[in-house]
Amino acid sequence: MTMAQASHARAVPMHDPFRIGGFSLVAGKFSFLLPFVVLVAIWWTIKIAFDLDDRVLVAPPDVLGALWTLFSRGILADYAATSLYAIAVAIIFSACVGVPLGFAVGANKYVARSLDLFLRFFQGVSGISWLPLAIIWFGFSDTTILVIVVYTLVVPVIFNTMVGVRAIPREYALSLQTLGASRLRVVRDVYLPGALPSILVGLRLGMGYGWRALIAAEMLVRQGGLGDLIFGARTFGQIDRIIGGMIVIGVLYIIVDRLIVQPIESLTFERWGVLRK
Amino acid sequence: MTPTVQGDKIVVENFQHIFDSADGPIEATGRVDLTIPAGQFVTLVGPSGCGKTTLLKAIAGFIDPTHGRILCDGAPVTGPGRDRGVVFQELAILPWRTVRRNIAHGLEIARAPRQEIDATVKRLIELTGLVGFEDRYPHELSGGMKQRVAVARTWAADPDVILMDEPFAAVDAMTRLTLQEELASLSYQTKKTVFFITHSVDEAVFLADRVLVMSRRPGTIKASIEVPRRTPGGRDWESFTTDTDMQAIVEKVLRLVREEKTAHKKDSAPVALEAAG
Ligand SMILES: Nc1ncnc2c1ncn2[C@@H]1O[C@H](COP(=O)(O)OP(=O)(O)OP(=O)(O)O)[C@@H](O)[C@H]1O
Ligand SMILES: [Mg+2]
Repeated sequence: MTMAQASHARAVPMHDPFRIGGFSLVAGKFSFLLPFVVLVAIWWTIKIAFDLDDRVLVAPPDVLGALWTLFSRGILADYAATSLYAIAVAIIFSACVGVPLGFAVGANKYVARSLDLFLRFFQGVSGISWLPLAIIWFGFSDTTILVIVVYTLVVPVIFNTMVGVRAIPREYALSLQTLGASRLRVVRDVYLPGALPSILVGLRLGMGYGWRALIAAEMLVRQGGLGDLIFGARTFGQIDRIIGGMIVIGVLYIIVDRLIVQPIESLTFERWGVLRK
Repeated sequence: MTPTVQGDKIVVENFQHIFDSADGPIEATGRVDLTIPAGQFVTLVGPSGCGKTTLLKAIAGFIDPTHGRILCDGAPVTGPGRDRGVVFQELAILPWRTVRRNIAHGLEIARAPRQEIDATVKRLIELTGLVGFEDRYPHELSGGMKQRVAVARTWAADPDVILMDEPFAAVDAMTRLTLQEELASLSYQTKKTVFFITHSVDEAVFLADRVLVMSRRPGTIKASIEVPRRTPGGRDWESFTTDTDMQAIVEKVLRLVREEKTAHKKDSAPVALEAAG
């Protein structure tokens, strides 16, 4: 084996964890679709085998039809845009607020220690359980939804930023000080890049939690969004719309996660391999 | 910028450090008085836990001594500064910076002009044998190479004083020999004041103008042995091992270090007997 081959052979398993999605999407045999195909097959089989009424379960093609109707009339785009807009605003807001807060908490070991339990407590109190209070305070409005989603997102962002800052060896900051760095410079050159992988983990987790909370909040607040779409469809027993909406919810999440968040994350991890524990 | 070789660079006066711990105060060191003239290479050996690192950290300005004071160029040390570079045992080079940018870090902080940074980095990369690895990240380097990056980074910032805490402990024996020779010539040629902690008596004598031996905890400096410079430009292991005068010094230091170890055993024996009886 030549050197080039050897290093190539080594490089493949190393990069593999980050490649699975992209690799199979482009060059693979679409193996990622297999579980979905199986699921649809089971669904269809049940529908036929038990001869279920359309008011209980529809056949897969009906769902496609409903999706096409929603899409061609622009309804789907409208509802999806509402949800995507809400999650985007929440992510940006949480990053702007949660990262500095996480830094403030993580920079001081006494604050970090005393807030650890506090933050875990609020991780337990899910965003949705704030809904009754939020509705009383802000009514059935976009504000209520944003409050719920931001709350859901910001806690993991604060928590992971804090963990990231705490995990940076003290020597990194000290060594920079011996190179004449100011406090601000240490934050910029040590704490920010050092905590970045952890911050991204927090944002990614938060986005997942936030997306779920968003759909749930939309179902109850009923001011547009995909949650509103599927809950509204229930009123008229439009099972095809409900399932179609659920598919869109899942697909949009995967698109955002796989195509935007994950590449950023793996880029930083690959570069800074060492920090990944 | 070559430091002028005259006067006392570092003065440790009436120093002692006592840590507060849950089990009461811990005397990390005994009383230490020490003067290091500018341009001298001082090595420090002593039993584990005797307070070597504590003394180094106090000189670096990382800890505020509970007793006495430390002067650098006649001014009291109040914190870390770029006049005193530190090479940590943990290395503390930043994993998200390439070799080049790690070495350039001190100069970047000092806002040195681009050409000066490039020239200095190039010179140090050649000197430390890192040519071809300029754009690698630390996790792609061997332990010995990381070590060289850490030394080069401290050197590039051109501090008058360099403090090193067992920097070569984690390096393989062959690489260590090369690094020691490189360090000797680098520091003699640039006329740096160096304070170097090690557990290896051979290393201590090989590098030093003066070897300090510390007693067991709480450590005081029990001996100071001058080592003549045969060749002003550096040292090499071949002539060192065949030089009988040098070997006599090694034996002398070894005896002093041994005494500390056996004294330790004698002292602890009665305690063990009491415990047994
Ligand atoms: N932060 C601290 N808090 C409490 N005690 C400490 C602290 N740092 C060091 N000590 C104690 O002070 C003593 C001296 O420690 P120091 O690290 O200076 O020893 P050392 O000579 O460098 O040892 P080694 O050769 O093993 O590195 C030890 O007994 C150690 O347990
Ligand atoms: Mg030590």
